Amino acid sequence: MQSGCAGPQSAAPAPAAPSVRSSANASSTPAEPSPEPVREGRPARPNLAFRPTRIELPGGSSAAVVPAATVNGVLSVPENVQHVGWWDGSALVGDPYGATVIAGHIDSATEGLGFFSRLLSLRTGEQVVVRGAAATDAPDATVRHAAFRITSVRTVAKDALSSDSQAFEQDGPRRLVLITCAGAYLPSRGGYQSNLVVVAEPLG
Amino acid sequence: MADDVRTGVRPGIRSRGPRALSTRRAVLGGLATAGLAGALLTAGLLPSGASDKATLYLVQGLPGDKISFTVNGKTLASDVAGAQVVGPFSVSAGKVTFGFGWDGKQQLTRTMEVKAGSNSDVVLHLPAQGSGETVTTFRNDLAAVPQGKANLTVAHVAAVPAADIQVDGKVLFANVANGESLNLTVPAETYSVKIVPTGKDSPVILGPLKLSVKAGSLNRVYAFGRPSDKTMNVAVHTIAVRNSGSSAPNRVPTGSGGLALDSRPAPIGELLR
Repeated sequence: MQSGCAGPQSAAPAPAAPSVRSSANASSTPAEPSPEPVREGRPARPNLAFRPTRIELPGGSSAAVVPAATVNGVLSVPENVQHVGWWDGSALVGDPYGATVIAGHIDSATEGLGFFSRLLSLRTGEQVVVRGAAATDAPDATVRHAAFRITSVRTVAKDALSSDSQAFEQDGPRRLVLITCAGAYLPSRGGYQSNLVVVAEPLG
Repeated sequence: MADDVRTGVRPGIRSRGPRALSTRRAVLGGLATAGLAGALLTAGLLPSGASDKATLYLVQGLPGDKISFTVNGKTLASDVAGAQVVGPFSVSAGKVTFGFGWDGKQQLTRTMEVKAGSNSDVVLHLPAQGSGETVTTFRNDLAAVPQGKANLTVAHVAAVPAADIQVDGKVLFANVANGESLNLTVPAETYSVKIVPTGKDSPVILGPLKLSVKAGSLNRVYAFGRPSDKTMNVAVHTIAVRNSGSSAPNRVPTGSGGLALDSRPAPIGELLR
């Protein structure tokens, strides 16, 4: 804390004139100390939850993951069947609760088999890895990743998907949910009649 | 026995509705958080000029005192009880001086370098240990949250060492010291919250108490007080934010080629056309 001295002492000449100095300091008025600054609160550590940008299946194949929105009740996954879509209302990887939902085409009339046709060969116990960029404005550009262990692979009738307790719910334990089409393909009834739903729990 | 947590925002000065909207407009002009600025740029709402204003709230984290609050000598609030949140207050960017008074006189002053477009909580509270009072400011992250969810940010401003915050029996916010915060995106529900010393289960610092997290909002929860005086409490400050993402789908049509004829999970090589 500095006190400014307005008295003649602050402009004291060289020691050759000692009679100018006053030992009492009675004429000086110390300036009021300026207030302390506030303390800035800070995060104890960064929130590392991330939006998936890449998914890697058992066997090593991987695909880009892009955000996908629900439009009029339909999740619009990327048309490019080699890409898959993360439902943008679902949990980030690392959020404490809820399903992180990634869906992709099993195939299309124009492009053949899609990346998620591989879901048909997945088994309980196998691992899936998801990578992504930090959701928050973190200064480091480290690509984050998380591994999951598959706990179930099920076929669900397409009209029963929205009420399936594991597929979309955003409360409950955090999990990875992978969805594609499956089941009988009936062109007169809108194509595939079922969805394949793979659920995986976080590892570590 | 779990107690309900009252919001503590002074009636008539709640951080929702038209005033909250104007708060967000004040944020846009300056250094808004990246997410919010990006979303509003897309919507064409970002004003062209920079605002020289900022938004502040006062969080009264001193148990038992009714305090007065001045900014640059002007009284903005008085008789503010512990746990109350008052605001929003619009201030000019630059250096401001806060005054806090109780027992009939000014007791504490602090300065803050207020950044244009910022939105902050100014929290008066006890230090982790020792006597006296201190002031910590926390920037409010007004980034959009998905439907049905909330940004739950807990902050430690109590006279205790570093603590864990348990939510529904599980440590969700670990090792938070006085002056620090942590945030998570969670579904908007009522949770049971308990605060314990870091890495331990007892003695319980606060709780268990019921915390209702509000959807579509930043929910700031401040743990304040002093356990030895039995004055531990929470102050809760919610600010409405924009919605990100889309609602849950009814259908996920993901195939039009009819190539995967076998509905049973099978090795890829066995698929025939």
